[in-house]
Amino acid sequence: MKHALKKKTGIMRLLEIAGEKKGLLICSGILSMASAIFMLIPYVSVYYILAELLSHAADLSSVDGPLMVRWGWIALGSMIAGLITMYLGSMASHIAAFRILYGLRVQLAEHIGRLPLGYLNQTSIGAVKKTLEQNVEKIEKFIAHQIPDMFNALATVVVMFAVLFYLNFWMALVCLAAIVLGFGIQTSMWVGEQAKENVKLYYDALEEINASAVQYVQGMPAVKVFGQTVHSFRCFYDDMIRYRDLCIRFSDSFQNGFALFKTILASLLSFILPVGVLLLSQNPNSMAFALVLMFFIVLGPGTATPLYRFLYLSSSLRDISEGVDRIDAVFSEPAVPEPQHPKKPETYSVQFDGVSFSYDTTGTSARIEALSGISFTAEQGKVTALVGPSGSGKTTIANLIPRFWDVRGGAVRIGGVDVRQMRTEDLMDTVSFVFQDTFLFFDTLYENIRVGKPGASREEVYAAARAAQCHDFIERLPQGYDTLIGEGGVYLSGGEVQRVSVARAILKGAPVLVLDEATAFADPENEYKMQMALKELVKEKTVIVIAHRLSSIREADQILVLQEGRIAERGVHAELLDKGGVYRRMWNAYTDAASWVIEKGVPA
Amino acid sequence: MGVLSDITAGEPRKLVRPVFFTVLSDLINIVPFVLVIAAVGMIFEPFIHPGTPMNLDGLWRVSAALLLYMVVIFAGEVGAYRASYRAAYAVAAEGRANLAEHLRRLPLGYLTRRDPGDLANMMMGDFTQIEQSLSHNLPQLIGALILPIFALVGLAFLDWRMAVAMFIALPMAVLIVLASSGVQRSLGSRHIRAKINAASRLQEYLNGIRVIKAYNLSGSRFVRLEKSFRELMRESIRFEGLIGPVVLLAVASVRVGLTVLVLVGVYLLLGGTLDILTFVIFLVIGSRVFDPLTMALINFPELQYHALAGERILALRREPIMQGQQHPPEKHDIEFASVTFGYGSDAVLHDVSLKMPEGSMTALVGPSGSGKSTILKLVARFYDPQSGRIVFGGEDIRNMDPEALLERISMVFQDVYLFKDTIGNNIRFGREGATFAEVEGAARKACCHEFIMKLPMGYDTPVGEGGSTLSGGEKQRISIARAILKDAPVVLLDEATAFLDPENEIEVQKAISALIHGRTIAIIAHRLKTVRRADNIIVLDGGRIVEQGSHDELLAKNGLYARLWKLQQEAQGWSIAA
Repeated sequence: MKHALKKKTGIMRLLEIAGEKKGLLICSGILSMASAIFMLIPYVSVYYILAELLSHAADLSSVDGPLMVRWGWIALGSMIAGLITMYLGSMASHIAAFRILYGLRVQLAEHIGRLPLGYLNQTSIGAVKKTLEQNVEKIEKFIAHQIPDMFNALATVVVMFAVLFYLNFWMALVCLAAIVLGFGIQTSMWVGEQAKENVKLYYDALEEINASAVQYVQGMPAVKVFGQTVHSFRCFYDDMIRYRDLCIRFSDSFQNGFALFKTILASLLSFILPVGVLLLSQNPNSMAFALVLMFFIVLGPGTATPLYRFLYLSSSLRDISEGVDRIDAVFSEPAVPEPQHPKKPETYSVQFDGVSFSYDTTGTSARIEALSGISFTAEQGKVTALVGPSGSGKTTIANLIPRFWDVRGGAVRIGGVDVRQMRTEDLMDTVSFVFQDTFLFFDTLYENIRVGKPGASREEVYAAARAAQCHDFIERLPQGYDTLIGEGGVYLSGGEVQRVSVARAILKGAPVLVLDEATAFADPENEYKMQMALKELVKEKTVIVIAHRLSSIREADQILVLQEGRIAERGVHAELLDKGGVYRRMWNAYTDAASWVIEKGVPA
Repeated sequence: MGVLSDITAGEPRKLVRPVFFTVLSDLINIVPFVLVIAAVGMIFEPFIHPGTPMNLDGLWRVSAALLLYMVVIFAGEVGAYRASYRAAYAVAAEGRANLAEHLRRLPLGYLTRRDPGDLANMMMGDFTQIEQSLSHNLPQLIGALILPIFALVGLAFLDWRMAVAMFIALPMAVLIVLASSGVQRSLGSRHIRAKINAASRLQEYLNGIRVIKAYNLSGSRFVRLEKSFRELMRESIRFEGLIGPVVLLAVASVRVGLTVLVLVGVYLLLGGTLDILTFVIFLVIGSRVFDPLTMALINFPELQYHALAGERILALRREPIMQGQQHPPEKHDIEFASVTFGYGSDAVLHDVSLKMPEGSMTALVGPSGSGKSTILKLVARFYDPQSGRIVFGGEDIRNMDPEALLERISMVFQDVYLFKDTIGNNIRFGREGATFAEVEGAARKACCHEFIMKLPMGYDTPVGEGGSTLSGGEKQRISIARAILKDAPVVLLDEATAFLDPENEIEVQKAISALIHGRTIAIIAHRLKTVRRADNIIVLDGGRIVEQGSHDELLAKNGLYARLWKLQQEAQGWSIAA
């Protein structure tokens, strides 16, 4: 953890991730500071006009009109220059912000592409999406707006105080003291035990009300069905009122401090003037001092305004570093290690050799599913079926072949080559898998099938579609193979999506096929067609199938019966039935279930 | 005005108090200004009329007044603070409550189609933005608009020509801001398109990442994603680059007032129609008077952004709620009379008429997309049909209180939602106030008791949100236990629920059998064998009823049902072999 100390945090880390140079931001800072100074010049103009008036007050005819007019134009010119530099500075920071967001998105997407398949499940993907969406706006706002604001405020304050102190030490000091006092009161509210306690209470309440809202909304259909919306509404309502009351109490606790802070900053002249009058009373006829006093009156109040911008700085910084931490959590997820000297298998039998495995379940509530001492060989050209109760490890075994996860002990080999010795690309070319969670791209059906083999000809795609029993339904669609899927295009049924994914796999023609017998799909017509499609797919391949319905694997060349992460029995259907063990019991249960008829008047 | 309504989520009147107190506090803040101007006058006096001594007493009095007046400013700030923050929290809480209440009364169908994450975010995030605008941006903006009017009127008494000069360009600024909303919208559409495109590309990439990796597509798919990000970056920069000058032009036209003031002042002064002190007063005021407006203009886009949140909320509030107050009669036969219904413009059901007598079992079969589940959803009033009537116990369900109707119906569909609560309480949801013995009884009938007792704390085991720690079949059985406890006379059932968890199929089957005993049952059937004893089998195709009758009758007809039956018999005998 030593290097963790050196690790950059917050905005610097953000720049590092995005690979963005600081140039644009520095540029934006300089322009913003220039803008701040330009925007001060109109005040100076007013001061010089006042000075001109004051020094010729007794005799108006000697007032230099053209001089005052010139100062009027200078005020306009510098105001416009100030706005232009402000615009340029803001553009620089916006461009920086958008580039950083672009870099961030690209980097994240690239990294996700290198993560183990096992990591990329619905939950983790959802979390990544949330991280990206929620933090992007905050990051944009901070970089695009707050950074130039900060430079602007800083330049204003520094220049102003330099001039004020140069002109009159005591009045400047009083002005500064008042500002320090104001900010002291403001920050004092945020430190100390009570304040910390309050902040914690507030965040806890916020979290609670958020959870309550999510539950209320997500559970609404269920609540409605049981006619309890009024009750559920009341619970949510009570939570919300509690939250509101807490917010009000929370904000009440800041009331006096905040009001005092604003009062002091709005009343800088109230502090400056008495000191000015005191100094004036010592030398009542000095035109020079009167002019200095005028300068303080015109510019003094302006020292406070830019400082308001620092008020929200700490909370923004906290937001940013929290967001960056969350993004870093994704980056710290280790990518799949690629082999130094990759090998390619020549033959395609799949061999498990003393494989043990367990999921890393820290922080998840999922049940631990583990494998131990799994050894078997799935011969090329044969069907190996995995059966067993849910949680027995059959899906885990299937997941280890395309390297969703890496084994903890032992090895998984294809044609004698350890899958960890293969390049990811080669492994993916070797193994096809058809699992239940299929996905179609927002693209034409044609392209969606051609995904299986990017260079495939039109004929090959059609042939695969025919073999997968999708050709007919595709032809019936308005634009046939050129029909767009999803997002304003056509939505396919679950069974149709399955068949398209099988068509992909057929087109890919990989020698090893890992299959979740997901054919228990919801409608009778599709079910039969899916089965036809699968029949085409398994020809002459090394097939490993996760079976739910025992009838579909009766003819498998090898059946592995899993129980609690171990192989309990193995053999062909008839042998296993004769054994009278686990498989026999499962078969009996299965045949009972298959003969189920729903009838009225059959109490349980 | 639309913005005001949006940003308060339809309650612009709630703004009156915070705006009143903010403006009051702003007005209070004018007084020190007047005092300072008085001091400036006193400082100038000896130089205008040489020989008069500096009015030090007067200056001391002004100083003392300024210091004392801080108490008034403080009081004003406290008032504004209380009015703004309290109003903000109150409006948000009330708005949330109203939205929650509205949500409760929306058709179930609407709720199940919306992304719950979106709705929850609206409830919390969008209202937080409204809080923010109410407590900060809006009072600030309105104060900034009202103050110049006060200044104009007040200063007009002093010298109307100078007052007009000061604010001469203000109408232009207002015009520019008003015009900018339109410009922003038209400029924004390309930006929004790029945003949506990038979001859906990202969505596709993330959701499809497993396929992308499996087919070695990281390259090409990534290029597509990268392109959309690049496009978004370009459009964002373009949008920002074009909208910025509009705002700054407005700012410039406000602040140009200072120069106009100087030019007019010098002209009038030299012309002898303006006295020096008046000019000085205008100059001192002119150096500060534009600041609040400038701030408001620069913050205006943020306000518009917040208004979008309000717009989203109002759009949801405009969704029509379900009507009807009557309680359903004690009879439970269901009838569809020429029902036509579609989710969008295309009808999913065409002119469907059917009868489900009390105590009978009706099975709905047909290919996917034929309208089976839509029929069940209409019975439970997820939606109201576009034409035709659905009659429940002799009454049109449109006249019934939707929740009272649902009290008569149990539904066991594929998606089960479990609350973040104990398993026992999740079952008790079926009937509030059920005793533990009743809960356990229902759990036993639904074949849950055994697995529940194996959990660390039995019935008191907490379930994660959405029931994440249980298997599909287990969740399903809990939902059946709920339904058993509810004991409703009508049961709507999706038979597919039985094979969500193939390993526990038998358990779920037993649970379903316990549930439906002696009720009016409508069931979506996938495995025809399972429902061959139904009183009536309705065969749907393309949203129309093509056949109905008992199993034997339908087989004899040799139509769609007979074909499906044959297909399934073949699938039964299927076996994977190389």
